[in-house]
Amino acid sequence: MADVPTKTARAEWGTRFGFLMAMIGAMVGAGNIWRFPYVMGNNGGGAFVLAFLVLLFLLAVPGLMAEVALGRYTNKGVIGAFREVVGRGGMVGFGIVVLLVNVALMSYYSPLIGWTLYYAIHSLLFTFTAAGFEAETFMESFFANPPLMIALHTIVMGAIAAVLVLGIRRGVERLVVYAVPALVVALVIMTIRGLTLPGASEGIAFTFGIQWEYLTFSDTWIAALGQALFSTGLGWGIALTVGSYLREYDDVPLGGGVFTAIGESSIGILAALAIFPVVFAVGVEPDAGAGLAFISLVQVFPEIPLGGIVAVVFFLGFFLATFTSGLLITEVSVTTVSEETRLSRTQTVLGICGGIWLLGLPSAYSADVLDFLDFVFGNWGLPLATLAIIGVIGWILGPERLRLLAVNRNAGIYVGKWWDPVIKFVIPAVMLFIMGYFAWENFGEPEMIAGMFVIVLFPIVGYAIMSVVEGRHGEPDSAGVTGGDD
Amino acid sequence: MALTPAVLGMLAFTLLAFWGVALWALARTLRQEGRKVDILKQQNRMDTYSPKALAELREWIEQNPDDPLVDTARERYNECVEVLRQTDTHYYDWSDEEIARLERV
Repeated sequence: MADVPTKTARAEWGTRFGFLMAMIGAMVGAGNIWRFPYVMGNNGGGAFVLAFLVLLFLLAVPGLMAEVALGRYTNKGVIGAFREVVGRGGMVGFGIVVLLVNVALMSYYSPLIGWTLYYAIHSLLFTFTAAGFEAETFMESFFANPPLMIALHTIVMGAIAAVLVLGIRRGVERLVVYAVPALVVALVIMTIRGLTLPGASEGIAFTFGIQWEYLTFSDTWIAALGQALFSTGLGWGIALTVGSYLREYDDVPLGGGVFTAIGESSIGILAALAIFPVVFAVGVEPDAGAGLAFISLVQVFPEIPLGGIVAVVFFLGFFLATFTSGLLITEVSVTTVSEETRLSRTQTVLGICGGIWLLGLPSAYSADVLDFLDFVFGNWGLPLATLAIIGVIGWILGPERLRLLAVNRNAGIYVGKWWDPVIKFVIPAVMLFIMGYFAWENFGEPEMIAGMFVIVLFPIVGYAIMSVVEGRHGEPDSAGVTGGDD
Repeated sequence: MALTPAVLGMLAFTLLAFWGVALWALARTLRQEGRKVDILKQQNRMDTYSPKALAELREWIEQNPDDPLVDTARERYNECVEVLRQTDTHYYDWSDEEIARLERV
């Protein structure tokens, strides 16, 4: 083993701003740009904003504080953090569940980043404002070209590997401190352009008009709940990993909780202001997802003055939003595998990115596979990961212990006792409700069956792997921290 | 659809509730970071708990003497007390009377 280099001291964020931008860069993704504005406008506008805001402060802010604090307290990636709390043994396998979900998520997110890259490149070529351009035909021919999709997926994973190989400070931090502000600037430019168009007020009214009756609809609250939990990336292991690189005297609750949850949602609000005034000014139907970004908006650009430039600004911003998320989703696995094995960071990055690339081929080949996986992991895989992380904090480590030992240590704001029951009871109950609700809504569907498969199989696989691996290093011990607290 | 006062009011509220809070948090945490850096340049160590958080930590240590994490908690409590006694500039709002009343656990 003489040629295995000794691993040096753990990396740290170089600046506070770097940590904050990493959190925002990770959490702001495609959903903020192409889903949030439509969900908001379609669920009562201002009424949805109120429901969303309440749930953000009730669930996402405390949850993110807990996840970042666990990373900071243990100074380890997902598996190391779980081991620190539950002790050696099969239970550490719940950390494997989080990793598996992250790898699965990234396997279909990478092709999606490829879509945004493709549109960003075409915006730079001014394709969308060229004479005779047809948005729908262009998108259909793109989706019907698997070799191109696979090539883009390959480029994306290659680019992510290239940044991650450089490490936390020289790679991730150096990129996010420019990419996140650039995304905000891009959306601001588009907002200014949109608001100065005749007819833009229709878009504002669609998004911010208040329909109070929506607050009495369960659909509004379910939509707000989904947005508050999934948009903030709570419990996916990202906040834990980013938090594990905090420096000794860094704060957790203000930056990792309040700023991250509210800041990333602010970008969704800005996206609504950037997109819908333009869409309504031109008289195109509002939409969500690929239909909004790749058809509606693309139809809009030729119709507005400086449309070609606005398209460049929008698609570059969109690409940056998805790319930085992909970068940090991948970092979750890289950090943990690098810590848990004798592989160097470079070897780990190449192994993880290569594995994700391979697993992502079906999603790159077919958008239907991507949609299927997105539905399965969005509704059951990600809540399972959240349940694993928040569950281990709430029921094994204990929220009071974590709050006293990590959350309020060097904190920029004081977090009181109200936080403990939120972590122990409210968030786990909400995650169970979400998984149950979507299972009931899609009962018997192939997606639901696949979701149940994930819920059952991933913990078993994780438990089995860690039982074997941990057993090799001696007898499994009992947890160092037991019983939790109230 | 016209921009009614209700729509404009909601727009203003949303911007304040999201961008206002996010920018406040960003400015506050960066300002705090600047202050921490200044303190660490001067004295290399810094108090780690606010008076309220440290009192709560002490209360927990006293109420949970057999907890598996009580030694870690005690270590963190005592570390903060030592730093408060040995340094002149404090990050949190500690008065001299409060520091004088502190005891190791």
